[in-house]
Amino acid sequence: MEYIVGLLCRSGSANPLFSTEDAIEANRFMKGIEAVAGDSRGVIGMANFIAQQIEALGAEVCYHKFLPHSKNFHPLKFFTSMTNDIAVQPNGTATNFGINTIGIVRAPRGDGKEAIVLVTPYNSQRVQSNELLSLALGFSVFSLLSQAAWLSKDVVWLSADSQFGEYAAVSAWLNQYHNPVFLSHSVVLHTKMYGANHIYDGNSEKTEVTAFKRAGTMAAALIFKVGETRRYSDRDSVMIYAEASNGQMPNLDLLNVVHYLAVHRQGFRVNIAAFSSLLSSAWLRVIAEILHTLGSVLRKINPDWKLDIAVPDYVEGTANLANSMYNQALGVPTGSHGAFRDYQVDAVSLEFSPTFHVKNENAKSLFLLRGGRLIEGVSRSVNNLLEKFHQSFFLYFLTAPSKFISVGVYMIPFALLLAPLPIVAAALADGSRSMEKTVDKLIDNGKADDIADILQSKGGSWKWLRAAKVLLVIQLWAVLVSLLPYYITQIPDATPMQSALIWAVLSIVVLISLSVLFGSPYSAGVEWKLLKATMITSISIGLGLMSIINFATAQLGALIVIPMCLFSRPLKASGMNFLPRAVLLASNIAFAVLGFPPAALLIMKGVSKGSWSWTIDVGDFWVWMEFLWEWSSATYLYLFLVHLPCWLLCILVLLHPCRQSESKMKQE
Amino acid sequence: MAIRYWPMAAAAVGFRLVLVLFGGDLHLASRPEVSTPLTSLRRLAEGYWLKQASVSPYSGSMYHGSPLLLSVLGPLTNSRPDGHHAHIYCSLIFVAVDFLAAMLIRATGHKLQMARNRSLKSIDLTKAVNDTVNVSAGDVASLIYLWNPWAIVTCVGSCTSPIENLMVVIMIYGACSRLAPLAAFGYVMATHLSLYPVILIVPVILLLGYGPDAPPPKVFLIKGSSASKSDVSDNDKTTRQRAVQQFSWKPVLHFIFWLFILSCHVLLLSSVILKKVGGLHEMFEKTYGFILTVKDLSPNIGVLWYFFAEVFDFFRNFFLIVFNMNIIFMVLPLAIRLKHRPCFLAFVYTAIVAILKSYPSAGDSALYLGLLGLFVNELAEMQFTFFLFFGYIGVSLLSPVMHNLWIWRGTGNANFYFATGLAYTCLQTVLLVESVSSMIKHDRKLRLLVSS
Repeated sequence: MEYIVGLLCRSGSANPLFSTEDAIEANRFMKGIEAVAGDSRGVIGMANFIAQQIEALGAEVCYHKFLPHSKNFHPLKFFTSMTNDIAVQPNGTATNFGINTIGIVRAPRGDGKEAIVLVTPYNSQRVQSNELLSLALGFSVFSLLSQAAWLSKDVVWLSADSQFGEYAAVSAWLNQYHNPVFLSHSVVLHTKMYGANHIYDGNSEKTEVTAFKRAGTMAAALIFKVGETRRYSDRDSVMIYAEASNGQMPNLDLLNVVHYLAVHRQGFRVNIAAFSSLLSSAWLRVIAEILHTLGSVLRKINPDWKLDIAVPDYVEGTANLANSMYNQALGVPTGSHGAFRDYQVDAVSLEFSPTFHVKNENAKSLFLLRGGRLIEGVSRSVNNLLEKFHQSFFLYFLTAPSKFISVGVYMIPFALLLAPLPIVAAALADGSRSMEKTVDKLIDNGKADDIADILQSKGGSWKWLRAAKVLLVIQLWAVLVSLLPYYITQIPDATPMQSALIWAVLSIVVLISLSVLFGSPYSAGVEWKLLKATMITSISIGLGLMSIINFATAQLGALIVIPMCLFSRPLKASGMNFLPRAVLLASNIAFAVLGFPPAALLIMKGVSKGSWSWTIDVGDFWVWMEFLWEWSSATYLYLFLVHLPCWLLCILVLLHPCRQSESKMKQE
Repeated sequence: MAIRYWPMAAAAVGFRLVLVLFGGDLHLASRPEVSTPLTSLRRLAEGYWLKQASVSPYSGSMYHGSPLLLSVLGPLTNSRPDGHHAHIYCSLIFVAVDFLAAMLIRATGHKLQMARNRSLKSIDLTKAVNDTVNVSAGDVASLIYLWNPWAIVTCVGSCTSPIENLMVVIMIYGACSRLAPLAAFGYVMATHLSLYPVILIVPVILLLGYGPDAPPPKVFLIKGSSASKSDVSDNDKTTRQRAVQQFSWKPVLHFIFWLFILSCHVLLLSSVILKKVGGLHEMFEKTYGFILTVKDLSPNIGVLWYFFAEVFDFFRNFFLIVFNMNIIFMVLPLAIRLKHRPCFLAFVYTAIVAILKSYPSAGDSALYLGLLGLFVNELAEMQFTFFLFFGYIGVSLLSPVMHNLWIWRGTGNANFYFATGLAYTCLQTVLLVESVSSMIKHDRKLRLLVSS
């Protein structure tokens, strides 16, 4: 792996061709587009200007019209929604639409089977100077690449109209690129977009421009934009965003290439997002100090142990790691690169933060030169690669732009957390084992008279079936609860607060009706040990599954769920001394409160705010859940199909009447 | 355990109907766990289309099923009502087929129960055994079949497995109730549709010859000898002697006669259907040949696809023989050991076939899990049931996730999916071994109870 990275870097950094002339070209483009943007024609004018410029370079150009896609919750399309969307709704007319302009350079040395995608988002409705700068940067790199003789992969430059959000524009284009929609003629007529026809006006090759154009399979994508100016920093910096949906990351090699070229060749400061509250937190600093002292002591004992991490490094690393885990666990992409990952394309977003004022021409030229060289270098690296990036390095957490924790490392604590579950489940479920052995012994001895008696007292090895029934009913409840929002969202004009309350009330109603239908969990006389065993088994299956789908969610969830499961014990159960019993009781109740998703959210919010004066707002929970299902995050499924049933089972175990075991003891 | 049978059965059928009518977005038909190259209805539609175009339905490598299905289900795949998924009529038929299969399993269970009660009565163990566990096996088995998620998924997922399963169930029911023509019909059709039920001839002949499951003959002998020591009335003796059944050749010969007639009939029908579009020879090559030579290596929940994708070409034939013989090897020893319980033997064979067949699917597992319910009284002492239950749940959830990881996300590879298949095979093996050993243990217990 390192060999590949090394190779990439060398090829990518070999004397960049991006020169001051390209920077001048970019400036010229910027002046032009500024003039057009000031014009009244808005959307169409800018797209038209970009298209003209691309055509002047001799590259192919096409437009992509799209409508904003209203995200709503559809339970059956949870995972398939990405592939089945139709970008253009077949009914009604729309006046509000976005236009992406796409330029394609065909590789002189390639066979057109692979492509590199460069994306520059800009808001056509409200143009800002930094967005124009990023367009100019994109154009200058594109114009350089259009003259490059060494290109072996097609280059696609997408200037994405981000008036409905960057993600919407990019994902609409990708959807059209990968899933062509063949609409019948009548539908096309129906969805006439007013104004869309102006665009082709002074263009003789009308049909050529209207047709959607494609290049090869996407090898990698680079999204770059120029962000707000930062005055206080000494160097221009680049922020890297990489988290896609459900904790998927691009190949680490792509990040490495970007980082290497940005830091070591172009002198940018590279950052990744961090939890700012952790950066300034005092207790983290204290822990870092202690670790540093311990590390330096250890270093003195053995100079090979390099455990003395500097305090700022530790704090920054922790803040980065926390943010990386949080973003992965949330399962919501941090930018438009997430749309690429849905089609298995490695993509990364770069946000440049220049330190100069936009009007400063000299600084701007220098910035364009360095930014252009960086993007050119990355494109060259990807261009020179013969295969797709290898699949081995997708699973990692970032602690710094150049440091990561690989799956081989982070799986170990998770596996250790999970390891006790099957053991405990087996121990609990096997409670009647000793009795069976006596029967076997009796059979061996041929004492058949006693066997019949013992057989009568024994329920067989299927006793857990009742507990499994309780589990299945609760899972059914959880499925229903997770589907309820689909119907609640149909209610017009409901505030989040009302929706959340309706949701809660309906959930309770469903729970009660299910327990009426299938019998209350205690009436069948389920032993609490078996109930706990079933719960633990189901939670280990759930966590195991989730660790494959989205590791970060499983890891964070396990921290709450596993102790909650393992500690759960009926409040009425006897047979323990006062102190351990009191401790268990207290921890049980604490976990029961902590484990309830809305309560957990509230506490998390309080902690992240850092203040202890929160107002209880049930609506927040609804808003948060809405956010999760809008992005089809698997975390939503985890919360409702794994965590919530487990929590309810824990409550059931806690409130277990323990009547059966007592009666049994009396019998004995 | 009181089971309200009819409401539960009706609810299961209702649930299936709801899924068929409103679950159009589930895309179950494209899941490798549900439909195999042999059972996919999409392929059947393609075959029907080819046949309509006067081309052999077996041309290309699309269709590998029976020509009879082509002419029965084919016309239904053509019509497509608005707003529903493509094969709605076929799915409705499959719901009916599943219900019929469940009813037949229930009837079989009642027959077995009656036979069991009779034989227990004849060895005076009714009280000792029946007091511990006595549930209606037929009801349990039929409900397991109806509510098994895999059976539901198979039924809704547009594949022809429900029909294959129905044929096997018809055969077992026919043999249990000694209806030789019905048994022969089920046997011929099941073999014609999926080849592997061919080994079920052993339990069918045993069932027809000896009658339904009974405790081992040794038990009756011991009982007889101990009874002859003490004074018993003649009446009792005669019933006991009747309980130890002699092999009756008449139904068996009857069965073989019908087997011959029906086989000829099926072959004739097939050749009529394929008259101008390829002949019987092509049919054998493209159906049985396709099954035995494992030509399609697309992933499924079995293990053979991975193995034959990896194996060197010059070893391929050798391993084909090994894997196919593997099933045959187990037929005789199991038949000898379990000959007094032919119905259980049939369950064991179906489970072995489901493990070792070349294109397994969830439908095969649904069948043998349903049959397993028939022996709920005998298997009350089975071990590892907790582990098996959650193992099956875990594997069936893991399999789609691993497939997604490999095919769609690209962060996994074939090994991930294959590992699930391997775990699944292990689970099935454990289930099989445990059920057989607990059945043998049950017989041993009966013997000890009698001899004491």
